[in-house]
Amino acid sequence: MDHDDRWDDQVRDAYRRPIAGEERAREQVIARLREEPAPRRSRWSGWWMDPDAIRMRPLLAVASLIMVLGIGAGAGAWWAASRGASIGSPRSTTVVARQTARGIGAFTGATAVTFVFRAPGASRVSLVGDFNGWNPEATPLRRATLGDTWIAEVPLERGLHAYAFVIDGSDWAPDPSAPLAAEASFGRRNSLVVVGEGGPL
Amino acid sequence: MIRILAVAMGTWFLIAPATSFGDESEEARLRARLGPELATQVIEVVQSAAAQGLPTSPLVARALEGASRQASGAAILQAVRRHAAGLVAARRALGPNARPAELDAGAGALLAGVPEDSLVSLKRARPSGSLVIPLIVLSDFVARGIPVVSASSTVLAATRAGAADPALLRMRERINERILRGEAPMGASREGLRELLTKTDPGTAKGNPGREPRERRRP
Repeated sequence: MDHDDRWDDQVRDAYRRPIAGEERAREQVIARLREEPAPRRSRWSGWWMDPDAIRMRPLLAVASLIMVLGIGAGAGAWWAASRGASIGSPRSTTVVARQTARGIGAFTGATAVTFVFRAPGASRVSLVGDFNGWNPEATPLRRATLGDTWIAEVPLERGLHAYAFVIDGSDWAPDPSAPLAAEASFGRRNSLVVVGEGGPL
Repeated sequence: MIRILAVAMGTWFLIAPATSFGDESEEARLRARLGPELATQVIEVVQSAAAQGLPTSPLVARALEGASRQASGAAILQAVRRHAAGLVAARRALGPNARPAELDAGAGALLAGVPEDSLVSLKRARPSGSLVIPLIVLSDFVARGIPVVSASSTVLAATRAGAADPALLRMRERINERILRGEAPMGASREGLRELLTKTDPGTAKGNPGREPRERRRP
């Protein structure tokens, strides 16, 4: 056995030898830890974060759950109703920012879309589309000073909208300068306008 | 207990608008405009679409449009069902994250005969930007008599070249002008695409939601 081996054995023996007073030292450490004050949270963070045991009567728990669901459903219904009511009920009269090259068709501003339509000889022109429930009475166009040109400004929600013009209450016509819908669900194609999708159509 | 109730109420207030029956006003409008039997049938289709996470306003709009056009109940129901099927197919082609306007535009294109593969290719060509304008341009081409294959390849080639939405819209206008002048729709679309690819730098137009502007290649 050389010198290094002897040294290793001595170190191993030293580690295995019990330390005098070890049990007492452990008790002292534990006692000191118990004396240390627990880390304090603020009143509010403690209220939310500290664990807590809750005891509740089953009947009261069910009643509470029903109440919460009822309030949530009411809030959801109110939200849905307010969303639906926004259709066809203008909330803004933002001035239209720009116009198409021909001055005929639809062009978008910040929140409003101006529809312009030439209808020589027409006595009445209205706008129908997804945004007004396709109701011919909802959005009449006003005659512009040019005589055969009709115009209406309509605030539209962001998205894709199909529309058409109704001339004298009976003739439906697409916008000649706007893109057409590919499908004609009811025999005649509609025009399309996009709001807030990368530029006016 | 107060703490639990507060957390539950807060959570419910957050999720209720998204999960509650948001079609109450739509249902009321349908019942007001359609006959009771037809309204019930249409509402079933609408509710089924809502359950699948599809946009319902296009379906309601189709029904109301049919009522305003004085279409028969059968025609209205068929149109609503067809559009619902189109929305399903559009989502299949465009992916689950497609926005409602994209699904609506995609459904219209599919119902006009554009194959789903074309929509899938468009999505690959512009994976992160909106496809609403490309789909509308595609639909417009088909509506104006350009064969579906040519219309699809024209829009796809322009989109792959990085054409911004305004450039696509200008191409649509030029092609329509050619058609109105009497050119054959297929030839007009070919020329319109050639103009877009050679005379313009498609990526530099404003409002390109699909790609960053490309560098102009020098000869």
